[in-house]
Amino acid sequence: MDKTDAKDQVQVLTKTKIDLSRLACAAPAANAVVGQSLQRTDDLLKVTGKLKYQADLPKEDCLHGKILRSPYPHALIKSIKTDKAKSLPGVAAVLTAADVPGRNGFGAIIPDQPVICADKVRFVGDGVALVAAETEKIALEALKLIEVEYEVLPAVFDPRDSLAEGAPKVHAQGNLISHDKLRKGDVEKGFAEAEVILERTYQVPFLEHAYLEPDVVLAALQPDGVMLVQGPMQAPFTTRRNVAPVLGLPINKVRCVQIHMGGGFGGKEDSPIDLGCRAAVLAWHTKRPVYMSLEREEVTLQTCKRHPMIMQVKIGASKDGKLTAFEGVIYDEQGAYASLGPRLPPAGGSHVHAMVMMAGPYEMSHVKVDAYLVYTNHPYGGAMRGFGAPQVHIAHEQAMDELAALLGISPLEIRRINAFKLGSATATGQVLDQSVGLRETLEACEKSFGFSKRFKQAGYINPKSSKRRGVGVGMGWYRTSIGTFGDGCGANVHVHEDGSVLLFTGITEMGQGAFTVLPQICAEELGVCLEDVRLVKPDTDQVPESGPTVGSRSTTLMGNAIILAARQVKESILEKASEMLMVPVSRLRASQRKIFDCENPERSLEFKAVATACMATGKRLIGQGWWAPPMATLDKETGQGNPYHVYTYSTHMAEVEVDVETGEVAVTDYVAAFDVGKAINPKALEGQIEGGVAMGLGYALMEEVAIVQGYTKNLGLNNYLIPTIMDVPNVKSVILEMTNNLGPYGAKGIGEMPNIPATPAILNAIAHACGGRVRSLPADPEKVFWAIREAGGPPPR
Amino acid sequence: MSYQFNEFHWANDIKAGQYLQPATLAEALDMLASFGGKARVIAGGTDLVPSLRQRHLEVEALVDVSRLPGMDGIARQGEVVSLGGGVTHAQAASSPVVAEAAGLLAAGAGSVGSPQIRNVGTLAGNLIAGQPAADTSLPLLALDAWVTIASPQGQREEPLNGFFLGKGRTKLDPGREIMTGIHFKALGQGRGGSYQRLAKRKAMTLPMLVAAVVAGVDPGRKVFTGAAIALGPVAPTPLRAAQAEALLAGAPVSAESVAAAVEKASEESSPRDSCLRGSCDYRREMVKVFVRRGLADALAQAGCPLD
Amino acid sequence: MSNLEITFVLNGERVKVVTAPDALLVDLLRDTLGLTGTKVGCREGECGACTVLLDGKPVNSCLLPAVKAAGRSVTTIEGLAAADGTLHPLQEAFTEEGAAQCGFCTPGMILNAKALLDANPHPQEGEIRQALSGVLCRCTGYGKIVAAVKTASQSRK
Repeated sequence: MDKTDAKDQVQVLTKTKIDLSRLACAAPAANAVVGQSLQRTDDLLKVTGKLKYQADLPKEDCLHGKILRSPYPHALIKSIKTDKAKSLPGVAAVLTAADVPGRNGFGAIIPDQPVICADKVRFVGDGVALVAAETEKIALEALKLIEVEYEVLPAVFDPRDSLAEGAPKVHAQGNLISHDKLRKGDVEKGFAEAEVILERTYQVPFLEHAYLEPDVVLAALQPDGVMLVQGPMQAPFTTRRNVAPVLGLPINKVRCVQIHMGGGFGGKEDSPIDLGCRAAVLAWHTKRPVYMSLEREEVTLQTCKRHPMIMQVKIGASKDGKLTAFEGVIYDEQGAYASLGPRLPPAGGSHVHAMVMMAGPYEMSHVKVDAYLVYTNHPYGGAMRGFGAPQVHIAHEQAMDELAALLGISPLEIRRINAFKLGSATATGQVLDQSVGLRETLEACEKSFGFSKRFKQAGYINPKSSKRRGVGVGMGWYRTSIGTFGDGCGANVHVHEDGSVLLFTGITEMGQGAFTVLPQICAEELGVCLEDVRLVKPDTDQVPESGPTVGSRSTTLMGNAIILAARQVKESILEKASEMLMVPVSRLRASQRKIFDCENPERSLEFKAVATACMATGKRLIGQGWWAPPMATLDKETGQGNPYHVYTYSTHMAEVEVDVETGEVAVTDYVAAFDVGKAINPKALEGQIEGGVAMGLGYALMEEVAIVQGYTKNLGLNNYLIPTIMDVPNVKSVILEMTNNLGPYGAKGIGEMPNIPATPAILNAIAHACGGRVRSLPADPEKVFWAIREAGGPPPR
Repeated sequence: MSYQFNEFHWANDIKAGQYLQPATLAEALDMLASFGGKARVIAGGTDLVPSLRQRHLEVEALVDVSRLPGMDGIARQGEVVSLGGGVTHAQAASSPVVAEAAGLLAAGAGSVGSPQIRNVGTLAGNLIAGQPAADTSLPLLALDAWVTIASPQGQREEPLNGFFLGKGRTKLDPGREIMTGIHFKALGQGRGGSYQRLAKRKAMTLPMLVAAVVAGVDPGRKVFTGAAIALGPVAPTPLRAAQAEALLAGAPVSAESVAAAVEKASEESSPRDSCLRGSCDYRREMVKVFVRRGLADALAQAGCPLD
Repeated sequence: MSNLEITFVLNGERVKVVTAPDALLVDLLRDTLGLTGTKVGCREGECGACTVLLDGKPVNSCLLPAVKAAGRSVTTIEGLAAADGTLHPLQEAFTEEGAAQCGFCTPGMILNAKALLDANPHPQEGEIRQALSGVLCRCTGYGKIVAAVKTASQSRK
């Protein structure tokens, strides 16, 4: 791996002149802080072991909470006896459904998951009773003493079975949570125009986030009656919104404090609601702080997963490779509880997101997609790095390659013919009117990787080897924001008389670098240095509502809110400096702790001196910014509208070696190109890219929550396999900047994009190498082996 | 209740009322005896500790044998290589003696778990755990290794062929006996070995299949003098493909005889369908690939390569 | 329960503690001795976040009975920087290369890398990967971690 400065690798493609009156964008002038690969603000604590995660904080005086779990995927609870458990010395509380003080239900969108199950259980691991005890050992002993009588019910494990007449009902209102539709043009007409039509079904399993830090929470009732819920959480405001009604409290009597996370990837949007509500109910009854931590097996058993999907694709093209129509059906398996799955108007929901993106980043006049979100008696689906998008990319990117093969054109050619460009209309009819760098990512990736040449060279790596080499491409697009009301973002900026700054936001840090990138934006806008800005960690009592840290929205949406907040203060600073320098405000510029006259840069003031003067004269040094993207639209019947305000684009290219005798795959080379709008911190961005590719590699080759008749067979990290350092190749990142004129300094979201095209790029490379295509993931050695058999055996030498 | 509580609930600790550190082997045996089978020997603990946490096993005491004298040596006397009962995977994987005498064992030891596991886990522990596909059991089985077991009745030797009784069960009584040594005859002079492993990822994972193969040849006559094929997990215990081996004994070194043995080894294997380790059909196919590769590799080492 | 008193060298200093017979080293370090830099991710020796050095060799402290530390030397992440706060070259390199994201695997990565560099000051990339193959990272894709170990090995010339 060459050691190069990430910053040198950023290519600026456009520098749009931005209309400052319209939005919260900063002028794209020379940036002193933004665009720099500055060291992360929390690195020193991490490398010395001093960074405190929730499990590292003191837990003296805490009770330990534990959950009694359902051993059945679907059963009625006939009776629960808790007397023996309650009488065990050291037990402070044994709670059942009747003990929940308020609403006995939580959920990010629909509160359909019981805090404690009352009458029935819906998946293996469902919570039937809660215990708090002086030690975890005692709590576990107490759980054993609770006697539950169940009546086992027939269960359903496949979304198609679940929709059938007479299927067991997971919830009383039925198993179909939502059927959403996208209708653009007339697919019959489109297929009539096609000269080649491909029909395929692709299938993906439940995936576990496998963040390294197991879930943990602390709930403590404060003397003033406020319930404190503290721990790793991606969405403190959503957690608060759930804990309050469960306790029967107004929202302002619940306080959620985020502690640095050991990874989240979407999973800790949801699990802290579950743990938080349960621990809070125990703390409410015992009036003692309750600490609840999950063992690794419990994390896998209890918390949300990436949604499995069955995806039917029909795609047509004319002889010259132009796509004419796309028809898709998505069975999106929600599992036992709704979690983040359901449609949240206008464009929220995993199946809605999948539906919107299913036809891929390609121009087509005729598109029809039906998306079904369905309950089953499996664990439940939540958000995981891409929320519906990774699944459908696996479908459309493989379909594109399969179609190209039928047409006799190369994978690059079919994408060059059809890829979005400025002015393209998406499947929802949205016209992409700015910041569309998809084709540029393809060409940049090709330039670095040399796909066309390598595509022709594939074959056995040497005459004696059983290994064949192949290359694959994956293209992708991903939204910035979540397409629903939760997208508003607030930030407060306080400048002090010594020039130091406090930044208050509710965006959380889970390793992605928000606590570095957000202060960078604040420092840039104020004209100070990164070290001058201290970020106040998310605490719902202190920071403005920011929505959840999901949807690749933090840098862009919160960045805008920070810029707006900083500008309010900067107005004071510049006015004061104008008085002091006797230069009009319009001529002043702030950068690197100085305010200077653009026309005569020798004339300058220290930022600190101006701040002192502002304070002394009563000028405002506090700013509050609020930014929400343009309101999303998506018609309920036709799926037409502008669901998300801007998209990030990407192309990935992978080389693999496949042992055609065994089906083993090694990924040996990798290039990924992105149009990110603007790289606020290129090194941190590269980190997101490399990690995302590794996660996409795991999805392609090894990851799967293996569930048999409702029972998960790989609860530990010994059996739920994620890529090790031996499995992931060095990844070369190519960063392109097509300015987003709705983003801070032109930035777009990047958190989720990198893992999305990685999976199909690798699957396409496998198919290219060995002739076998795996349409039901993961492409583990056995599946690749049978795919090669199905394709007629190993290719001749 | 119709279900096992421990299948759905987990502890964050292990339970053992006493941790005993004997200074001599005799003392260790006495300590074990005093608990009437309810104590367990602990060496590296890498297998034992997880099963204690998951409550698959409950013990009253742990008897730590890792500091007993003479347990950590690797020595060769003439043809025989002896490893002490406390030899770790890392030691075996990096030992020049093992590398020279049995490269397949070094490779197997180097494939166990992770570097951290290999630094404390022992070969003896791997054998006693009685798993059908332990990375060091299979090479040792193919090497016709034998083990020394200390029991209250004295020392005895057990050949590994026949040592494994069922999943997790061996001829060693883990509550009363201690494995003090592992022995095998060095390869060389017309005997070669090979270790072949199939897994879902490239480090830190249990194998889907291991084939450990030893081939003995008479290079002058180009015939097999003998062959040992150890496979796992294809049966409840590590499997010696005895019928395939029988086909090879005395057979000419040729693609045909290897092909016949490969088919037979596959027939002898009866892996179960596993959602984690692969289907029976697939693994039987893989037995063919890995036995073929293993024999070819072993023959090359023995100085009599297949053309 | 018969508790045991054990003495060992922890990060260069001799410590004497009383431990339960069945306490695991990771819990002794974190709960009794307050060294929470050692993380718990799985309690089955799979994630490597609990790695410490025992007599200089990396081991999973979640699998090791605390009593086994008796008479030996244990190094945790807290023991790497000098007393005056000067970082170990690996710690420097991890910050410089952006090798830590969520940070949960970082102590385990750094300690495994330290054991490697102590034995082999200028390893090849393959040797680095092999040495770190017992620690899982879900954030970084490992590239910047490999780069950091290389950087640290170069800074030791």
